[in-house]
Amino acid sequence: MSCKAVNTVLGIELIEIPDWNCCGSIDAVYAYNPLLSIALSTRNLSLAENMKMDIVTLCSACYFTLSRANKVLREDASLKGKIDKVINDAGLKYAGEVKVRHYLDVLANDVGFDKISQYVKLPLKGLKVAPYYGCLLVRPPKISNFDDPEHPTSMDNLITALGAQSVNYPDKTKCCGASLAITDESVMLEMTKSLLLDAKDLEADCIVMPCPMCHFNLDAKQKDIESHFNIKIDLPILYITQLIGLAFELDPKELGLHRNVVSPKRLLNRLKNA
Amino acid sequence: MKSEVAHRHITAQAIDPLFTEKVKKMRGGENILDCIQCGVCAGSCHARFAMDYSPMQIIKMVQLGMRQPVLESSTIWICASCYSCATRCPRGIDIPALMSGLKNIAMANNVPCAIETKPKFHKTFVEILRKYGRMHEPQLQMKLINKTNPKELFRNASLGLRLWRKGKIKLQPPKLENSASIATIFENTLKNEEE
Repeated sequence: MSCKAVNTVLGIELIEIPDWNCCGSIDAVYAYNPLLSIALSTRNLSLAENMKMDIVTLCSACYFTLSRANKVLREDASLKGKIDKVINDAGLKYAGEVKVRHYLDVLANDVGFDKISQYVKLPLKGLKVAPYYGCLLVRPPKISNFDDPEHPTSMDNLITALGAQSVNYPDKTKCCGASLAITDESVMLEMTKSLLLDAKDLEADCIVMPCPMCHFNLDAKQKDIESHFNIKIDLPILYITQLIGLAFELDPKELGLHRNVVSPKRLLNRLKNA
Repeated sequence: MKSEVAHRHITAQAIDPLFTEKVKKMRGGENILDCIQCGVCAGSCHARFAMDYSPMQIIKMVQLGMRQPVLESSTIWICASCYSCATRCPRGIDIPALMSGLKNIAMANNVPCAIETKPKFHKTFVEILRKYGRMHEPQLQMKLINKTNPKELFRNASLGLRLWRKGKIKLQPPKLENSASIATIFENTLKNEEE
């Protein structure tokens, strides 16, 4: 939603893959049956290849999963043979021409933060933002190589380009617990709690991040963390394009900010009065 | 004689060299013998606090052929595949892929897991994708929660409501136009696995 709004300003056109399927996630399908996981990803790659386009994902986990399929198909000829047979039966083919990229990579390396800063109408002055990259956006380096796997800076630079202040966030690449939210909730609550509390410690006004899966844990589960540990956090979690949209002075409704579980109202009021 | 056997930490009966060979054939297991037990994986793991063995210990146990304790460990199920360990591993071992592979062996052999939801999660996830081609989160959640625990039921209902109100989940399951291609993919890959 916020991505569409920001794309209109930046002149980026993303076309949804018609009839896309779930990539099978990092491990959910892969652990059950690796061949099935790679085949599901390949179906999406094949549909994109039909469109003669590369894939841009807004999710770090899809980014990893689709890229992994590309990588193993390239490296393992016997697996490629098996997958070809499976998807040919399904009426598809895949030559291996599609690149998989994350949207942040496109912003950083195709659009450029200099250009983005030219569209800023409301510099986010005085706003302290913690950049949370999470796990699979920048690693493993064999799959993601547009930023440093240990100390990435692209989102920090984006925050600065928008006029806000990026806090020096030590948890920027720590894991939020991902699907443990469903299978082992208390472990995930513990993992995400430390991310949120560290951002609070650094007096961040919000966390900005690039993945809907992490967003679920940091935003939608924040209430559960508060009640489980009997603490107050109340830290708004913004997807990257929501923050960009605010600096572009787009309507918060258009950016879907009313759909965030932790209300960003206080943040919006501050920006309005700045 | 008997006592001599008893004081050894690992008895020969508990060792299955074929297990090591099996793991070596899986993605993530190819170079498992290269591990030098440096501990960088254990030190990098953000979920180590919830595991019974560290990833480093699991690798050593696989090297030794300690099939049962590896497959019964919580470690293989706690790993969230965040790739901190593999990014730093000086021997280039794909540890998260190894953990997925070990889960695969555990599930295929019905090895009991201390947390029942774990294997059920993978099974249910695959079932839902087979039906719709995309995820339907309310069904996944409903199938996994313990419905006999009123507290858990209430907490999940309140989370569901929270997400539904914000338009983040739909009660209506998704539907693909070309669902036949998904059905074929499932049929062929699941069949392939049995061979």
